[in-house]
Amino acid sequence: MRLELKEITKRFPGVLANDRISISVDRGEVLGLLGENGAGKTTLMNILSGIYRPDAGEILIGGTVRNFHDPHQAIDAGIGMVHQHFQLVPVFDVVESVALGAETVTGWLGTFGRAAARRRVVELSEQHGLDVDPDAKIEDLPVGVRQRVEILKALYRKSDILVLDEPSAVLTPAETHDLFKIIRGLTAGGTSVIFITHKLGEVLEVADRITVLRRGAVAGTVKPADTSREELANLMVGRDVDLLVSKGPAKPAGVVLSVKDVQVMNDRLQMAVKGVSLEVRAGEIVAVAGVHGNGQTELVEAIVGLRTIDSGEIVIGGENVVHASPRRVADLGVAHIPEDRMRDGLIAGMTVEENYILDSYHRAPYSSRGWLHAQEVAAAAAQGVRDYHIQTPSIDTIASSLSGGNQQKVVVAREFSRRVKLVVAAQPTRGLDVGSIEYIHTRLVEQRDAGAAILIVSTELDEVLAVADRIAVMFDGRIAGILEGASATREAVGILMGGGE
Amino acid sequence: MTSGAVAVRASEMGEAERRELRAARGRGLVIALLGAGALWAASGAFKVAAIFSFWLLEQGGAAWTITTTVGMLWLVAGSAAIIIGGMQAGFGARFPWRQSLFVIAPLYVAAILGALLDGQVANMTGVFSGSLELAVPITLGALAGILSERSGMLNIAIEGKFLVGACAGAVAASATGSVLAGVLFAVLCGMAVGYMLAWLGIRHQVDQIIAGVVINIGAIGITNFIFLRVLAKNTWLNTPPTIEKIKIPFLSGIPVLGPLLFSGTPYLYVMLALLIFFSYMLFRTRWGLRLRASGEKPSAAATVGIDVIKIRYHSMLLAGALAGTAGSYLSLSSAGSFQMGMSAGRGFIALAAVIFGAWNPVGAFGAALMFGFSDAIQSLMSILGVDVPPQLLNSVPYIVTIVVVAGLVGRVRGPAAAGQPYTQG
Amino acid sequence: MTVWRRTILPALMPVLAVFTAFVVGSVFLFLTDIENLKHFPGDPVGTILAGLVNIGKAYSALVLGAFGVPAKLAAAMGSSDPKVIAGAIRPITETLVASSPLIFTGLAVAISFRTGVFNIGVEGQFIMGALGATVAVLALPDLPKPLLLILAVVIGTLSGALWGFIPGFLKARTGAHEVITTIMLNYVAAQVVLFGLRSDFLKPAGSSTPISKVLSTIVRVPLIFQLPAIRLHYGIVVALIMAVLVSWFMFKTTKGFELRAAGFSLMAARYAGMSAGGSIMLAMALSGGLAGLGGTLEVLGTVGQMSNDLSSGFGFNAIALALLAGNRPGGVVAAALLFGALRTGGGLMQVKTGIPLDLLFFVQALVIMFVAAPALIRSIYRIKVYSADGVTPQ
Repeated sequence: MRLELKEITKRFPGVLANDRISISVDRGEVLGLLGENGAGKTTLMNILSGIYRPDAGEILIGGTVRNFHDPHQAIDAGIGMVHQHFQLVPVFDVVESVALGAETVTGWLGTFGRAAARRRVVELSEQHGLDVDPDAKIEDLPVGVRQRVEILKALYRKSDILVLDEPSAVLTPAETHDLFKIIRGLTAGGTSVIFITHKLGEVLEVADRITVLRRGAVAGTVKPADTSREELANLMVGRDVDLLVSKGPAKPAGVVLSVKDVQVMNDRLQMAVKGVSLEVRAGEIVAVAGVHGNGQTELVEAIVGLRTIDSGEIVIGGENVVHASPRRVADLGVAHIPEDRMRDGLIAGMTVEENYILDSYHRAPYSSRGWLHAQEVAAAAAQGVRDYHIQTPSIDTIASSLSGGNQQKVVVAREFSRRVKLVVAAQPTRGLDVGSIEYIHTRLVEQRDAGAAILIVSTELDEVLAVADRIAVMFDGRIAGILEGASATREAVGILMGGGE
Repeated sequence: MTSGAVAVRASEMGEAERRELRAARGRGLVIALLGAGALWAASGAFKVAAIFSFWLLEQGGAAWTITTTVGMLWLVAGSAAIIIGGMQAGFGARFPWRQSLFVIAPLYVAAILGALLDGQVANMTGVFSGSLELAVPITLGALAGILSERSGMLNIAIEGKFLVGACAGAVAASATGSVLAGVLFAVLCGMAVGYMLAWLGIRHQVDQIIAGVVINIGAIGITNFIFLRVLAKNTWLNTPPTIEKIKIPFLSGIPVLGPLLFSGTPYLYVMLALLIFFSYMLFRTRWGLRLRASGEKPSAAATVGIDVIKIRYHSMLLAGALAGTAGSYLSLSSAGSFQMGMSAGRGFIALAAVIFGAWNPVGAFGAALMFGFSDAIQSLMSILGVDVPPQLLNSVPYIVTIVVVAGLVGRVRGPAAAGQPYTQG
Repeated sequence: MTVWRRTILPALMPVLAVFTAFVVGSVFLFLTDIENLKHFPGDPVGTILAGLVNIGKAYSALVLGAFGVPAKLAAAMGSSDPKVIAGAIRPITETLVASSPLIFTGLAVAISFRTGVFNIGVEGQFIMGALGATVAVLALPDLPKPLLLILAVVIGTLSGALWGFIPGFLKARTGAHEVITTIMLNYVAAQVVLFGLRSDFLKPAGSSTPISKVLSTIVRVPLIFQLPAIRLHYGIVVALIMAVLVSWFMFKTTKGFELRAAGFSLMAARYAGMSAGGSIMLAMALSGGLAGLGGTLEVLGTVGQMSNDLSSGFGFNAIALALLAGNRPGGVVAAALLFGALRTGGGLMQVKTGIPLDLLFFVQALVIMFVAAPALIRSIYRIKVYSADGVTPQ
């Protein structure tokens, strides 16, 4: 079925999220929708799936205008969404999750026809090569399979337009490859697919046509055969992207962080880190690359003292920190920029000033003998706001009223305000625009050149290749391989990310 | 490389299992020690008779009596505990120890009961049917709690709804002379309170705990106020017709079971019917599937076109109706009039039953029976003049609930999204 | 503009909430005035007017009961007769007497709410504190009075702290939801108190009512004025000192900073190297301790005898009060004075007009509702809101 979005416009307070966007996808075609974070992709898809209503513009399916007031109408029109954050009920099994909202019922009580639903799930799973156990509980399934359950959900509703929102974010290259195979199978059967991503390589591989969004508007539509990575990147950010960070060669000195044979369990008591050894020296940036969920989160939490390790040894600056508290680790000169900064790095309800001293309030000059020193705190926070160009009306402003980028800067400013020996930064640039990414990368290199050891964890290949002096690739709780940053190639890292040798 | 990998994997499997095994052995030991204690208690108690009697056909009629000794009861309980403790230690994590507790606990209760009675005859029909009657409002309240929490609304206002239902039921039944009208009005008022809670929590995003507190305080205030200002002076508004017990033909003629199960108030039968009905609705129907999805992951439900907000409103209305019914039971069936604060914490016991029963109607009924039992035992004791501090038995439901929420006997998991506000779009 | 947004509006909202609650309460008063309503079919206007008069009478009795009769106060100014003075100031001192336990329980709730823990168990902690103090006094009646008083206060405070610490500990260690555990512990506390009051140790010989031996003959909190029938004791001073201490603690110390951080986000507090569990346990123990201290001063100062109805809902009122006060210690004092005035004035209202004191519970529920759902008040009074600090939210 041909789908067309015409001149879609959507405003939020202070933001023009979608500015007269027009896209189309033909029957059996894959449209790659490429754009940075904040380019308006997600808003557009929420409009398409009936969650938001556009301020202007129309949606045409098979040539007729359709306006969706709620998700149900979009589903009825044949649109199937696979959300980036899976919309599955963890305690349901696959059949229940797939059938939810489209249940067949019998009797006046509306008894759920489980047997029939199960038959269809099995049938669809086999037909499209999805290989999903219909009776498994969602929370027990690995992410790759959960994604296939999401696809099953769309197929179950006889969707002929499938929208995949950043589907590869949680997948290994090999799993991504399998996903592409599934997509091709679907398009061969006449399904139209919209593939949303910010990864250039993927659209070039899978899409028949590529529409690039930039700042809420269409920047251009091209065919993969007629374009290149560079052109796409230019369309995405609107200027020549400097994927390389300007930095001199690393001058590694003594070992600051040493991780030896560390095993860590996750919250569900499964072994998430299965024997990792790693060293980070002063004056170098080591990046831990890998698909999300291969043990990186647990490794970082273990290093900064948030998670107890099961076995092994972690030494920071000569001190064994296996049983150290997060406070002790921080006191050793470790800056931690957490993965989810808005949630873990910042207290939205507290002021900029209070956030600025969040992990050093207990030390001089901010306090002594348990009493806070208001003047010193204010002076330091004001200094931080100036140094890091944090845009805020005052240091007494509640953090939540700052923009996302400025909130992140508060965290970075705070972490770098102390004398830092080791920086542990998890996904340091997630959710940032290109300008802020550059800013953060520059600051990290600055810290490196000042003699700090830097450990970053990133799922973004481009970032890893750009900033790292050494790259350690994690797969299934282990280090699959360590590469030199200067000589590492995208392909080599990609293979390791999938567990290959 | 490969051998290393295998070794690592073996050790990681071992670690989780070792923990389980350690825990299981510890549990086994505790259970076995309990058993040893019982055997020690048995040794000196074979001379004390333990006599339990049941009415055969009707209260006060012929009785069927079981006679044994306290020592025998301890012996049986202790042996069972030692066997189960041993099996737990031996089989490890695979052993269904929670279920086995349900075997041991009644044996211990019987033994303790026998020991306390010290040879006096205990009429168990009275105790059991008393438990059942006491379980009626608690089960209805727990059903209300389950429906709201399964849909994602924390409900600590059951107590308040009980009071409102009790007051409304008494007034309407007295004014019209019809019990049915009383129940109906109690249901309506319960629904109004339920709607209020939903409206505060959903429309105004008031923290659901705060909203519950508001409703509870408001309900105490308003019902006390009405009682003192209106009912105390106009007693004709607080003398409802009483509800007669109904003997179900044929079934009530079954020996022992008849007087126990089939000679109760209509509330008992209604409660049992609702229990079965909602168990089916929650776990076997589309309605239940959607309701549970709203309480576990509302965004997942919303993306497939389910109106989470509407589901939550509906379930809060239903919960209000159920709690209102339970309230009317208090004033119409058990007391015969409305009294200030007559819910006396039963609403919170219902909340406890929700948790104890792991958000499952049948489980909650089991918990309600247990709480009812501790109440019934207490009145048996005071009738027989056995000196047990009533406060001890009164505390049982509360302490048991604390133990359960603290996960001291295995963690129960409530609906993931309960208490979190949800905004659509 | 800024003054309006930053200063007037935050103070205006609670005032409007209280005012609106009373208006709703009046409607309710009118609708339950059956005697008056009987005339409605024949004389609707007269009924409404009579209803308004009744409401006016009730509320004026409330105010006079809480603050005293102006004429009497004026007369007392020039008088030296202790009876005259006492009679004049008694309403005000009684208001203060009623306010002081509310300040303690309100502060207790505010500390826990600020730390993000819903301590619904202040009621239980209050009576456990009182019980602890009672036991201490009756166990060591021969100690020197000042020493015994101090000892009883310490033990009472610790008893409350322990009763608060239990749910804090359970939450920190096992994740048990404090709302459930504190509710349950309220009932357990009530049972423990009953159990204690039935024991020969606490009850007067031969008594079967759940009231303890008289404590005030052994020891009592000193009175502020030596006037007949004036019960005001130094508990109110301790309460005010506590409000200042709590304010200092929360905003000027590192521990207070930790508690507030934990209150906003446990995860972020943990990431910042604070012990989230420690903060929860500390907050609950402090909260319980304040409640326990309140209970102690109530039993040793105001009542002089432990009973199972020592707390007439001080712990539950405190929740409304803390919310009304925005969990600010200064606000707690103001709100406690208001609630204390309502309780005292409500007493006179009940005597004079027969309107039950329980109306105030209902009004309180309305107050919390209006405070918790500010949109309601805004829509009633058509108050416009601007986003905080003038920065457009994204």
